[in-house]
Amino acid sequence: MFEMVELITSSTLHIRNNVRADGRTLNQLRPLTCSRNLLNRAHGSARWSQGDTTVLAAVFGPKAGTKKGENPEKASIEVIWKPKTGQIGRREKEYEMILRQTLQSICLLTVHPNTTTSIIVQVIGDDGALLSCAINASCVALVDAGIPLKHLAVSICCGLTVGGHVILDPTVLEEQKLKAVLHLVFPNPPLSIHHKTQSLLKDEPIEHGIITSVMRGVMSVPDYEHCLDRGRIACTKISEFVRRNLQSSAREGLAKAT
Amino acid sequence: MEVETSSSSTASLVDKAVVPGDIVLDLTSMSDQTIRLGAGLRQYSDVLSVVKAGKLKFKKPNKYWVESSQKRYAPSVEDTVLGIVVDARADNFLVDIKGPTLAFLPVLAFEGGTRRNIPKFEIGTLLYVRVVKANSCMNPELSCTDASGKAAEFGSLKEGYMFDTSTGLARMLLSSPTCPILEALGRKLSYEIAVGLNGRVWVNASSPSTVILVSNAIMRSEFLSDVQQKILVEKLMQRVQG
Repeated sequence: MFEMVELITSSTLHIRNNVRADGRTLNQLRPLTCSRNLLNRAHGSARWSQGDTTVLAAVFGPKAGTKKGENPEKASIEVIWKPKTGQIGRREKEYEMILRQTLQSICLLTVHPNTTTSIIVQVIGDDGALLSCAINASCVALVDAGIPLKHLAVSICCGLTVGGHVILDPTVLEEQKLKAVLHLVFPNPPLSIHHKTQSLLKDEPIEHGIITSVMRGVMSVPDYEHCLDRGRIACTKISEFVRRNLQSSAREGLAKAT
Repeated sequence: MEVETSSSSTASLVDKAVVPGDIVLDLTSMSDQTIRLGAGLRQYSDVLSVVKAGKLKFKKPNKYWVESSQKRYAPSVEDTVLGIVVDARADNFLVDIKGPTLAFLPVLAFEGGTRRNIPKFEIGTLLYVRVVKANSCMNPELSCTDASGKAAEFGSLKEGYMFDTSTGLARMLLSSPTCPILEALGRKLSYEIAVGLNGRVWVNASSPSTVILVSNAIMRSEFLSDVQQKILVEKLMQRVQG
């Protein structure tokens, strides 16, 4: 009897009264920090951390010339993912591809045709939600470098527990026990001077669409929609944080890394 | 969540910090007016949208632009920049101006320039030039003369020291009335300076220590207010002469 109980509790997440193992509620994110303009030689750089997951992104470009297979009428984006330890393998290539397609959809590629912008992502710490952290860091680094963007890309990681709860921003321990892990990227809600027809839509989330959705695991469609709703609301909060960060940095100026 | 809107109907985002994706102007109500867009703004059918993060600026009657500061330069016409010669071809010099592509400086774009007196610039020569053409699809074109064809201080800069800054600091140094840091330094020291809008600054003085002093003071003054800049110069002068 005792042995069976132990097996069950070690393979499921400890969620009692909607409080997770590290004290957060289901929807609570870890503390976010973001600093820009850290690297001397990079044209744009940003360091984004969510709890213990930290990613440093550097942007070089636009530089003249595109690679052989690329369309010369558009700018091309190149992503290099550098893991914290180990050799570069298929997982890194997958991350590079996801990041590249996400960033290609937010950059204005026709402003500087026949150029290449390189984004180098260095993982400094990995404690869950790594891809989301990397996307957020890359987006802020692109803004820091002055690459023209249609809008920001704000990313969140959700997970579905075995018990059917949706949690946001899981740690590595939580991720290992989840039924499904979902990374979502949304565009930021714009600051607009016009109401247009907002009076009817005041309580609904703005349907601005979704940029990227990457899932590992299995979940049902209602659960997926649930994750989308929660993720969208969380991304609104994150994009407010990014906006505040971009405003204040412009005035203070951040010290360069020595 | 709702789109953040201003409370009053005539409020606008002018002089506020904006982020890519923000909508600045709704053009459906302004079909008969001409609006000039500067850097950082783009028209999407009937709205004006921001593409670079910065501060939105407006100049009457109809100019909107986003002021931002970067390490790289986006070439635009009639800017004076500092370029470095990378290669010399038959028709033009290839000059690096910190933009997305190299710029071309025609071999004849000098005062009294003919095929017989083409200047011989070595690779690495620093030039003070003016941008004549800047389209996104072509390499920018430069010139060492002003609009009327006179030399007007354009050309190669000899001796001195060149350092890189952000475009925001370069614009601050070129603002009128004279930037406080340059004025304060000029009261105590004598030096020569050329500022390129592409984020390059060239300083020359009779002694190397003056050059180093002026360069360091300028590099440190980027985010200081007027008063702080004057205090910085006073402290530097005390340390040097004390």
